[in-house]
Amino acid sequence: MSESALLSRRLVVVTGKGGTGKSTVSAALALAAARRGKKVLVCEVVARERVADFFGKPPSGTRIRELLPNLYSVHVRPREAMREYALMTIKFETLYKIAFENPAARYFLAAAPSLAEIVMLGKVWWHAAHDTERGRLRWDLVILDAPATGHGLTFLTVPEVFLRLVNEGPLARDMHGMQSLLADPKQCSVCVVTLPEEMPANEAIELDAALRQHGFPPGPLFLNAYFASRFTPQELAQVTRGGPLLLAAGEAADNHESRAALSAHYEGVLRNAVQRPILPVPFFFERSFGAQAIDKVAHAIESAL
Amino acid sequence: MKPLLEVLRGRRVICCVGSGGVGKTTTAAAIALREAMDGKRTLVLTIDPARRLANSLGLHEMGNEETRIDPAMFANAGLTPRGEMWAMMLDLKHTWDELVRRQARTPQQAEAILANKLYQTLSTAMAGSLEYMAMEKVYEVHSSRRFDVVVLDTPPTSNALDFLHAASRILDVLDNNAMKLVLGPMMKAGKFGLKLLAAPSGLVLRTLARFTGSDFLRDLTGFMMAFEGMYEGFKDRATRVKALLTSRDAAFVLVTSPQPLTIQEALFFHKALADDGIQTAAVIVNRVQRDPRRHGGPDNLPALREALQLAQIKDAGAPPLSDRLCQTLTDQAALADLDRREVERLRTTLHGVPLFSVPRLRKDVHDLAGLWQIDGYLGENGGD
Repeated sequence: MSESALLSRRLVVVTGKGGTGKSTVSAALALAAARRGKKVLVCEVVARERVADFFGKPPSGTRIRELLPNLYSVHVRPREAMREYALMTIKFETLYKIAFENPAARYFLAAAPSLAEIVMLGKVWWHAAHDTERGRLRWDLVILDAPATGHGLTFLTVPEVFLRLVNEGPLARDMHGMQSLLADPKQCSVCVVTLPEEMPANEAIELDAALRQHGFPPGPLFLNAYFASRFTPQELAQVTRGGPLLLAAGEAADNHESRAALSAHYEGVLRNAVQRPILPVPFFFERSFGAQAIDKVAHAIESAL
Repeated sequence: MKPLLEVLRGRRVICCVGSGGVGKTTTAAAIALREAMDGKRTLVLTIDPARRLANSLGLHEMGNEETRIDPAMFANAGLTPRGEMWAMMLDLKHTWDELVRRQARTPQQAEAILANKLYQTLSTAMAGSLEYMAMEKVYEVHSSRRFDVVVLDTPPTSNALDFLHAASRILDVLDNNAMKLVLGPMMKAGKFGLKLLAAPSGLVLRTLARFTGSDFLRDLTGFMMAFEGMYEGFKDRATRVKALLTSRDAAFVLVTSPQPLTIQEALFFHKALADDGIQTAAVIVNRVQRDPRRHGGPDNLPALREALQLAQIKDAGAPPLSDRLCQTLTDQAALADLDRREVERLRTTLHGVPLFSVPRLRKDVHDLAGLWQIDGYLGENGGD
């Protein structure tokens, strides 16, 4: 898949295990798209928002904020999403208050099958497919930084599960709309982020299979924090046996190569098991999460795509 | 500093908490192994172990089966435990069903709940469900007194509060007076044998129905009716679970990696525990980059060139070997510096909590020998 193909979708979903760098990849994709003149909105549906911080901006909260020219972000939280969504359906503020701002509503949020996820996904869907400004869609691209695996899959299959239980009413109608956007390879792409380690790699393989089984259009798999080999086996053997003066250098080289070996191993495992393009994203030693780091990741992704 | 084994002495329930991907499962298994070596009959209760680790623990499938780790596997790893080590993988659905069967007043009531469409979705999909059931299972195993020590590998919750307040959140769903009031007319109709055919009535109910459709409200009514009378039992049990976790019998071990974001999460978890009156017993930082400079020796380009020459190693390749060595040393020293700074930040903030630092190992840990290797860093000097 070429980069322009990925970035010309209406909705790009970024999923994967927690701690694999989903937010980094989401921010980098957004930056790459914004640089191409696309107006991009990143929707963060995680406990704590991070993307604004990557660009040195205060948290966006539940209001859409501009982080860079053409690049916006919003933190999607259940309570606010519920309110926005319910108001769209019910239209009357007073009625909303009577029905939703009472103790029963809190219960309702917890009890209705994944209602919190439904309203959050509903908000993302609305931005991707219905949010218009002067007659045209406001966003060229919406990037969804989805919850961690397991929960991430639950999140995306929420319309499907809901429609099994309920098949009438305005919510059900919208769920059909969401489902068709999420299933359309021309408009949507679901990417996976993982690391060259056992648990994340296994989880990515399971996630890839589950996503395909549910019919989500496959985007690339980003193999984050990839260590490329720097030394030949012969060099490594010489240096590690090079005597006391080379003890430090030998250990560093050995550490590096053992991580490079893991990277290569899990890349192989993933290439065998996963039916989607694999893009290694190099490990960056600075480990800073600033705009510069995102810029580097964006460049790495751009050159790999 | 006291070794971890001493810190945890006398505790019968050990909960390993922290964000996902920090090596919680491995740490929990290493602690259980140490206790078994020390003569205890230990159980590690895990949620979602890496396949190879699960295999090496003899866990092949979920289903709440307590599995004893084959003594032959200890022998293979060169270990002779004085106690026993057992492992179990938590099955969410199964644990819920067990709880419902145990708490139901009659078998009929249990069957009615188990058959409810909404229960089937709720029991596995509700936020906090996994956390609640993990604690429930720990309580059950602990009360059975089948084990001296139970080590819990908690679900990779991103939010500490979700874990600690899971029980009350779930209980709120099972019995909510406000909702009962709203659903009242439908529940009454159900009781009089009208088979829940009553249409949603009242402003609130009608508005909610516009949102979800009335089928859902009917299922919900059925669900709440099925649960009636069981709530007290659930609540009582949840109270006892909480009492156990806040007692001297239990210890919370905070597991983290040196990444700034997971450290932040760990500190948040520590605070949430403290707010609930729970003291963090110990903190374990996994995958800490060791500083290659601790060996001393040359770390700049000219000195490295000279060292290579002395060792009669050809400084070849592109870029030359000396350049690559110098870069690699610099990179790893930088990582070690960052990790050290983060570990110190944690140590200062968690003033007085024993902190153990486990270096990044060359290979993934997936067998008893690997777990025993980790134990080497949980001793007196805290891995420093």
